[in-house]
Amino acid sequence: MSEAFPWLLLPSLWAARNRARRREKGDGLRAALFGGLGLGVAAAMFAVTFWLTWQLLDYEELGEYLIRLGLSWLFLTFLSFVAFSAVVTSLSTFFLSEDLRLLLAAPIPAERLFHSRFVRTVVQSAWMVVAFLLPVLLAVGLARCAPGGYYVTAVLTVVPFVVIPAALGSVMTLGLVSVFPARRARDVLMLMGLLFAIAIVMLLRFLRPERLLRVESLPDVTGFFATFQSPVTPLLPSFWAGESLFAGLNGRLDLLHLGALWTTALAFVVLARAAYGRQYFSAWSKAQEARKARFTRLRLLEPLVRRLPLAPARRALLVKDLKVFLRDTAQWSQLLLLVALALVYVYNFRVLDLDRIPYMSRVIKNVYAFVNLAMAAFVMSAVAVRFVFPAVSAEGPAFWIVRTAPVSMRAFLWSKFWIGLLPILVLAELLTVTSNHLLGVGPFLRTLGAVAIAFMTVALVGLAAGMGARHPRFAAENLTQVAGSYGGVAFMVLAVLFILATVALLAWPASVYLWHDTHGLPVPPRQQAGMAASFLAALGLSLATFWLPMRSGVRALDELG
Amino acid sequence: MILVESLVKTFGAFTAVDGVSLEVAAGEIHGFLGPNGAGKTTTIRMIAGLLKPTAGRVVIDGHDLAAEPEAAKRALGFVPDRPFLYEKLTAAELLRFHGGLYGLEGPLVEARARELLELFELLAWRDELIESFSHGMKQRLVLCAAFLHRPRAVLIDEPMVGLDPRGARLIKDVFRVMSRNGVGILMSTHTLEVAEEMCDRISIIQGGRIIARGTVDELRGLAGTEDVQLTPVFLKLTGGSGLQEIEL
Repeated sequence: MSEAFPWLLLPSLWAARNRARRREKGDGLRAALFGGLGLGVAAAMFAVTFWLTWQLLDYEELGEYLIRLGLSWLFLTFLSFVAFSAVVTSLSTFFLSEDLRLLLAAPIPAERLFHSRFVRTVVQSAWMVVAFLLPVLLAVGLARCAPGGYYVTAVLTVVPFVVIPAALGSVMTLGLVSVFPARRARDVLMLMGLLFAIAIVMLLRFLRPERLLRVESLPDVTGFFATFQSPVTPLLPSFWAGESLFAGLNGRLDLLHLGALWTTALAFVVLARAAYGRQYFSAWSKAQEARKARFTRLRLLEPLVRRLPLAPARRALLVKDLKVFLRDTAQWSQLLLLVALALVYVYNFRVLDLDRIPYMSRVIKNVYAFVNLAMAAFVMSAVAVRFVFPAVSAEGPAFWIVRTAPVSMRAFLWSKFWIGLLPILVLAELLTVTSNHLLGVGPFLRTLGAVAIAFMTVALVGLAAGMGARHPRFAAENLTQVAGSYGGVAFMVLAVLFILATVALLAWPASVYLWHDTHGLPVPPRQQAGMAASFLAALGLSLATFWLPMRSGVRALDELG
Repeated sequence: MILVESLVKTFGAFTAVDGVSLEVAAGEIHGFLGPNGAGKTTTIRMIAGLLKPTAGRVVIDGHDLAAEPEAAKRALGFVPDRPFLYEKLTAAELLRFHGGLYGLEGPLVEARARELLELFELLAWRDELIESFSHGMKQRLVLCAAFLHRPRAVLIDEPMVGLDPRGARLIKDVFRVMSRNGVGILMSTHTLEVAEEMCDRISIIQGGRIIARGTVDELRGLAGTEDVQLTPVFLKLTGGSGLQEIEL
């Protein structure tokens, strides 16, 4: 057994088993929260796919064609996803993992090491795709009443399908690390991946898929689908996977495409093994070289911060946080994604054509103003979970420096709060004011929106900072992990509840006021009192949502062991 | 300078530190020895303010750590056993940040930082990111940070880890000068030669309790041995039986 490569996978399996065995406080709640969310998403995907496939049954040939095209496109998307994910994962599994020093010093044949690391790369880069495919393929099969052979074909298709891009990604990483040092390569990849994601988001949005729902644009539909087809598609594994699954759906076995998948997967693994056998050690060795890193000096930052009326400790924390953030590609590059999302957000309001319903446009605009408020707050909570929630965890193992310094945890957490609040508040106001302007809502709702989003941002940033201090993960490898942790998910749940409650508390008095305003009537005193109470309740909720988690966060930091 | 009274730390049912008391006077170098898992690092972490004691009291330069944590921490310089630092800062920026946390800014801190970087032979690296530093360089940078604010008491967990012989020699000289200037130093170490050479008094901890305290001669007396070296004395006091019959 110890001669076979799976032996080298045992430490990760044992570690997972030990983690599962170790019961910690809150594990049950955590499992229920994540399990529930996972099952909910899977059930939703199953339901949507089932419904879509079921509807397409009515369209005979067109339906068949769309299912075939859909499968092919689904796999094409995943092909690029797994390939990119494998490039990033293999950088870690083959070059940056801490245990590699131990393994490379041990008398382990190169092939065994390659096989064990490659299996890890495949699993880590493809598990999400497989988890997504499971409910989708199951739903397609059940909706089409597919025979049992379809499910066997699905397994036989997905396995080689994920191996091909994983092998390709691993070889690309080998090439990349042969040129750049591993840490630099990771930065380059992060940036590339992000730009890729931004391009996809922008492209999808600017294609304006909502046009498909309009009757007058129906003649364009065929052209729209035609753009999806390209001459290279039949040469890609995604096409083979789609074809073999489609055959399985109809009770046939497409040996040609299935065979193409398996032989290509095998060939790619053999080629990747050969490439690693020849190049791995020199690439790994190069990856260890610590060159003097190039970085932004940010010389202007300190003189600028020195002008702020802050205590030296606050100033020191601010300069440190900004420098660490701006020098970490994984951190600042996320801002690009944020800018893209903000642009798409505002663009949505620009293309919104509410004047098509003239009689209702005023009412709908008012309703949209509240939808806008809620949406902007959701965007802010997503920004907060990514940038503010991990702020305490970002201190990492170096947190001892602050903890042993004469700085109270209260001052420390407040510093994190202010650093997070200012940029998020500017973004929130910009989004709300611009989108309300594009919507063309009246001055009352514009002012209400601007004031409400300010309070909501304060509350959300306070909630994120406080809960981030309550649930820190100082050992996390990257801050995305922190945002996706139990505390991050719990923050998002609370943030959504807070947003819904606040919007409800604001919408009622606003609608009373607007109704009376439209009809030229004064608001009766009783209703005025009710409106004031509702506004005050919203204000109180915001202040409590900000203050209580901050206080609890400070206490948690004081108690930190 | 450092006063520890009846310090207790429990983790669930396990008592890691069980009523430890010790006192480090001004100008004294006090060694803190013990086998692995004896409670040394837990005690040190409580004195540094990194861990909340279950019971007991820590006083630094007359300030109770629980009641006046900021005043107590201002008087202390701490060097942990592992030099985790902000990797995306340069050495000079880290020292500037550290100074800011202690309320120090301006040309005086810059001059002090330069002086320490020169002393610990890091001046050529002052504008390089810490992520490109070796373990020993990081350890020397931590020492610079710990001494930057001229602490009245110094707490060091394993001072020689990662230092080359030249660095080790330097740190011994620095401790001697600080001791002469009235700084109290509490030093946890496994390097018994260092403890023997440097320390005025030594406390030995085992199973969370202090089992012996005194000068090297007093410890020799307590162990009932005439050995010149501290290692046999330590092994006798802590019940270690030395090297077993094992096949190597």
